[in-house]
Amino acid sequence: MIKTLASRIWAFFKSFQLTIVLLALLMLLVVFCTLAQVELGTAGAVNAYMRSFFVWHQFSFLSFPVPTFPGGGLVGLMLTLNLIAKTLDIQRSWAKAGMWLVHAGLVILFAGEFVAGLMQVDTNMSIEVGQTVNYVQSYKNMELAVIDTTDPTWDEVYSVPDTLLSKGGTIAIPGTPITLNVKRYFPNAELSNLGAGGQPSGATAGIGPNVAIVERPTVTNDNEMNMGSVLVEPIAGGHSYGIWLASMALGAPQSFTHEGHTYSLSMRLRRQYLPYSFTLKQFRHDVYPGTDIPKNFSSLVQVVNPSQKESREVLIYMNQPLRYEGKTFYQASFGKNDTLSVLSVVENPGWLLPYVSCVLVSLGLLVHFAIVLRRSLKRRQDKKEG
Amino acid sequence: MLKTSTPPHRSLPFLQKASLLAGAGFLALAVGCNRDQVSHFRVPKEAPTAGSPMAAMGEAPAGMPLAEGDMPAPPRPSGQGSLKWSLPKGWSEATGEGMRYATFKSPVAGRNEATVVVLPGPAGGELANVNRWRGQIGLGPIDEAALAAARVVVKTKAGALNVYDFTSEGQTKSRMVAGLISTPDGNTWFLKLTGDAGPVAKAKPDFMRILESLRLD
Repeated sequence: MIKTLASRIWAFFKSFQLTIVLLALLMLLVVFCTLAQVELGTAGAVNAYMRSFFVWHQFSFLSFPVPTFPGGGLVGLMLTLNLIAKTLDIQRSWAKAGMWLVHAGLVILFAGEFVAGLMQVDTNMSIEVGQTVNYVQSYKNMELAVIDTTDPTWDEVYSVPDTLLSKGGTIAIPGTPITLNVKRYFPNAELSNLGAGGQPSGATAGIGPNVAIVERPTVTNDNEMNMGSVLVEPIAGGHSYGIWLASMALGAPQSFTHEGHTYSLSMRLRRQYLPYSFTLKQFRHDVYPGTDIPKNFSSLVQVVNPSQKESREVLIYMNQPLRYEGKTFYQASFGKNDTLSVLSVVENPGWLLPYVSCVLVSLGLLVHFAIVLRRSLKRRQDKKEG
Repeated sequence: MLKTSTPPHRSLPFLQKASLLAGAGFLALAVGCNRDQVSHFRVPKEAPTAGSPMAAMGEAPAGMPLAEGDMPAPPRPSGQGSLKWSLPKGWSEATGEGMRYATFKSPVAGRNEATVVVLPGPAGGELANVNRWRGQIGLGPIDEAALAAARVVVKTKAGALNVYDFTSEGQTKSRMVAGLISTPDGNTWFLKLTGDAGPVAKAKPDFMRILESLRLD
């Protein structure tokens, strides 16, 4: 009975019909995802349709979202399993070596997309001419930065990601006596001066008591930004320092002092500090003579990496990124009258996998062709001799 | 005659195949699990303009407009201590949204806008604010001596107003005319006219008349 069920499941996973259905679903997903970009923006649509296991929809008559279509993650996973099942069913003989290689290459290609989807980190680095920057920051993800600013030369930065804030409850800050009690997290909010009839933010310390806050639906469009805001109560040594409002809409950090240590609180785009720094020495924005049409953007940066005892100049320009320490830095944008350069930074641990896949598939096809050719020549020879 | 023999079917045993398949599935799911935790970094102190929250907001995604919320939320002053002004012909006023106290629309075509922001206390000081403004149009910071040289004092009924006028470098020049004044209730008021250099130059005489008309409520 169990064996029958297991072999049925096995037959399902290796069936060619499943491949056809999954490929059809994938085509539909591509169409839906393309259309959804109008409303959600590129990143929003790709996350909702491709890099998720289900496509969720919020119906007006329900209070919770429900899955309405398999997402790219699920279809991709099923396709990979389908491919693996098919591969495992191939005979283990030299005659099938080429097929093994081709299938292994395809599995690696699928795995590469999974690695990219789940582990690729897209960030950016904005540097002004003459400025030195040692971090990259996220486009959308936020963090509550709790910074011990006491030391005159160093800052101790404790980063609480927005995903953790959204869970609420208490968050201990390791290495400090502080525990944050998250009263409320707003993924997106609009702040304004507290006027008559306004809704107070609920903060009791800092600038929060003078601010009105209204929750807004989150935005995913490329040109819009969520103003993530949080009401937190820092508690240290059994003493509450009041409820503070930290928000992306509030630029200046606010601070409190506990036992001689000054801690500032600020909501900002999530940063990843690097063991090296970039100094922008020059930014060029060349145009075709007599027009405003851009011809070239380039950033001349000084890369300083003390751990490698390295200090060198690198020119990053269009289609000529810098690959450094697992990250790729592309010239992406500029601003502030050509004194600010924005580098798009991509970190994909699986960037080599598509190349490995291509090599394996090509090799597999060649091997398979050679084997079939040899067999066919042998048959012809046999016929002659026979 | 030589005969080619068919190789025996030697695919993997069923259990081995099933466990390999299940393993691949679990591995894919495990990769997707991402733990959220507080992380710690020890970093050198940043220069005032470098990567301040204001800069982070304004610079972040390519093509995003600079967020206006580069200041702490001010308490909205009312009654005694708040400033009043008179608008020249053709100018209109809208109540501020978000962190702004008020926004003025000038009749001059092109990119230009005047805003009023009020903050409690000295709001970081005059030099820090002037350098922050200069940073917004891509100019480097200046020191106290240069600040004094750049300052133009406008006498108003509300007291002396310090006005600065900066124009950026580069192909598209930006210009900022900004004044700041402290009121007796301890607040600092910032009145800024910003935009492209051409329209700002046209709107400046009227904006200066607004500044000269300042008085206490």
